Amino acid sequence: MSQAALSVEALSKSFGGLHVFKDLTFDLAPGEILGVIGPNGAGKTTLVNVLSNQLTATSGTVRLYGEVVSGRSFPATARLGLVRSFQHTSVFPTATVAENLVRARYFAGRPPQIHTEATELLEVCGLGAVFHRKAVDLPYGLQKTLGLVMSCLAEPKVLMMDEPAAGLERVERIVVDKLVHYASHVLECSIMIVEHDMDLIRRLCPRSIVLEGGKILAQGATPNVLSEPSVISAYLGEALEANDAVH
Amino acid sequence: MDTFLLALVIGAMFSAQYALIALGFTLVFGILGVVNFAHGSMYMLGGYVAYWSVSTLGLPYPIAVAIAVLFTGLLGALIEILLVHRIVEDHLSTLILTLGVSLVIVTGVSLIFGHEAPQFTFPIAGSIPLGPAYMPLDRLIVMIVSGVAILAVYLLIFRSAFGRAVRALSIDQSIARTYGMNPRVLFAVTMALSSGLAALAGALVTPILSLSPHAGESVLLTAFVVVILGGLGSIIGATWAAVITGMIQSFAGIYVGGSLGTLLLFVLVIAVLTVRPSGLFGAPARGA
Amino acid sequence: MKKDMPYSVLQRERQFSGSDRVTLVALLLAAALPLLTSNILVQSVASQALIGFCGALAVHLMLRLGLLNFSVPGFMAVGGYAAAIAAEYGVQDLFALLGIAFSAPVVLAIPIGWIVLRLKGVYFVLVTYLLTEIVQLVIVETPSLTGGTNGLIGFPPTTFFGTELISGPAVYYTCYAAAIVALFVALWSTRSYGDIYDSQAHNETLAQSLGLDTARYKAQAFPVSAGVAGLGGFALVQLLITAHPLSFTAASSVNYIAYVLIGGAASLLGALLGTVVLVTAITQFSWSGEYSLGLFGLLLIFSVLFMRDGVVGVFTKIAHTIRGRNQLAYPATQGDPT
Repeated sequence: MSQAALSVEALSKSFGGLHVFKDLTFDLAPGEILGVIGPNGAGKTTLVNVLSNQLTATSGTVRLYGEVVSGRSFPATARLGLVRSFQHTSVFPTATVAENLVRARYFAGRPPQIHTEATELLEVCGLGAVFHRKAVDLPYGLQKTLGLVMSCLAEPKVLMMDEPAAGLERVERIVVDKLVHYASHVLECSIMIVEHDMDLIRRLCPRSIVLEGGKILAQGATPNVLSEPSVISAYLGEALEANDAVH
Repeated sequence: MDTFLLALVIGAMFSAQYALIALGFTLVFGILGVVNFAHGSMYMLGGYVAYWSVSTLGLPYPIAVAIAVLFTGLLGALIEILLVHRIVEDHLSTLILTLGVSLVIVTGVSLIFGHEAPQFTFPIAGSIPLGPAYMPLDRLIVMIVSGVAILAVYLLIFRSAFGRAVRALSIDQSIARTYGMNPRVLFAVTMALSSGLAALAGALVTPILSLSPHAGESVLLTAFVVVILGGLGSIIGATWAAVITGMIQSFAGIYVGGSLGTLLLFVLVIAVLTVRPSGLFGAPARGA
Repeated sequence: MKKDMPYSVLQRERQFSGSDRVTLVALLLAAALPLLTSNILVQSVASQALIGFCGALAVHLMLRLGLLNFSVPGFMAVGGYAAAIAAEYGVQDLFALLGIAFSAPVVLAIPIGWIVLRLKGVYFVLVTYLLTEIVQLVIVETPSLTGGTNGLIGFPPTTFFGTELISGPAVYYTCYAAAIVALFVALWSTRSYGDIYDSQAHNETLAQSLGLDTARYKAQAFPVSAGVAGLGGFALVQLLITAHPLSFTAASSVNYIAYVLIGGAASLLGALLGTVVLVTAITQFSWSGEYSLGLFGLLLIFSVLFMRDGVVGVFTKIAHTIRGRNQLAYPATQGDPT
């Protein structure tokens, strides 16, 4: 049995009296693309924050290819190869697209040379055309894309994407597919995608985990998970609440 | 034993003053996220408005104090609405903005009243025996009024609808907004409250100590020290820190000597910060 | 190669921008000032500007990282007093004293920085304010070393290869020496780390998420800022021929911050422009010694609300509109590096 790319064991996080998640245990296999879904407030973003060590876990252990990363600093964790991308656009606004990419490589300790595939990726994502524009001047979708590309250019071993499609128009979301393809096939990265866009999850993630109320509600092959009654009612419950709030 | 009791009494007085000053400062930080560099000048304005009301308008001292509080509170609200609110998201800029405001206020006061300390005395003199020591009446009154004001602030923050609203705002603005709370109004009221408290302290204390356009500088420093020690944004922290600071100032002042005592206090604060980087009661997340 | 083909080498460049070059040239040209005018007042104002520039650079170096540093007068005091005390012990050579004025604050700043930089941004700001106050108190409490509230006077003058620097122009050149060294240090710092600092200032979380050890760069910038401040303190003590606590109050930190913010916080040129403009303004309106603070206040309010990038920002916007977006910051690709 080969080592898991990311091994999460009894992970818990609470803020004072508020328990965000408790005793989470799951694995990400090498080369796998895992979906993490669940209604709002289930703790998905906090999970990414804790796994990347942006926040300290209350208890539990996280291992990257067997090496314990719990308790390390946020930058050190990234350097080890566990990188996260952000739900909201995250770029260096005053720098040009080119500078942003340079910094991504440099901060991750990667050489300035990039693969042909990466160059092609930049072109395909629309970043080639705006190479010398300041990031703050880009439309929102392109900024978001830039942020995602930067986390790929860090050449992580495990990439955790926090709602990569958020803020992207439906037509723009194909970019996420391309990035995931690049990371998975060229970088041979293992990927964890937190998402609300179910089409995206179905397209890209063979296996998924459902988080609800800070616990794993279900896990397994994505089509099975998405048709499980408990999962449907968890989401339906959320839809009903949203409905109430509107009226 | 006499000295000890005296130190205790003076420490209590300092603590009340510091609490009054620190509470406003930490409220503004906790709720608006603003480090209000103009806080010291609000204290100073409180003193000057009270002085002016007494000497020029000939009003009785208690009325003068009330006017000082109302005027300065209103000014604080105006500063928030007209200036701070435009950039309230940017913590660094609001700091610089309030710094600029304090400079303007100090210069304005110098222009109107001159640089020398005006004759501003507390209307009640004398002292009463308190055990083996003598407690000056003026300081006793200041302590009592401060205590009442602090209690009122606590009731307001922890037991009223307004208090719940501002505490919700300080935790999560977007959630607070969905409940119909208007940050614009609440921010302005918080600034008004904070400035009013500083002005109250100023109106009460400057006739006892001294009044000058630069009287606010050391007050600002005190606010920094107390609020850092207690934790920025924590009301309970500010109160405890005010007591600790007041007592240390008093005891160090009596047993060790003025500036050395202050030096020890500052070093102590930094020492605390090495083990608790957010102060004794501070929340880790907030800040520039 | 297609015209819009993105580059395959994302090379990091050393930061030495146009405005940096202008700053360097301007300061080099300033060496000629005593040759152009023998007016003592002008030389004095220029000396004060040079000193202010050191303080402004010290503020800029931390502000570049997004940290507002009120400890500049404190470290200026450390540098100034260290040099004066060294002179009392017979060290008079300009270069030696510059070295001491730079090193003493650096040595102190390293452990202090380690403590202070772990604090969140806001705490950092307030604690640096406290640090300057602490230096004041230490000076007052150690009269045998520092002269206490009387200050240090009568220490031997600085010498340059044996010649005593006591004439008007000589004092100017002493200040100039401090300023030029300060500028070179600042240029080195921003050239080597400018992009890292900007990243931390604008999106620290992103920088960390990619693997940047932000703590290390903060810890590195703080002593450099302190050293630069120390150079300014040395120059100030030389100009006044006395080392006095009142030269280094916490309130005076506002001056240096104002120079940087009003001139333009993003560049060294901004620090220079802000210093020159404001020091000239204060000394010109010498009757408004008190009112200068009010003027600063109004300028700070105005610049924070309407002129975020300072005077330099205004000029840059104009220049950009004229020049367009033709900047090629990176060399064309040489082809695939296989």
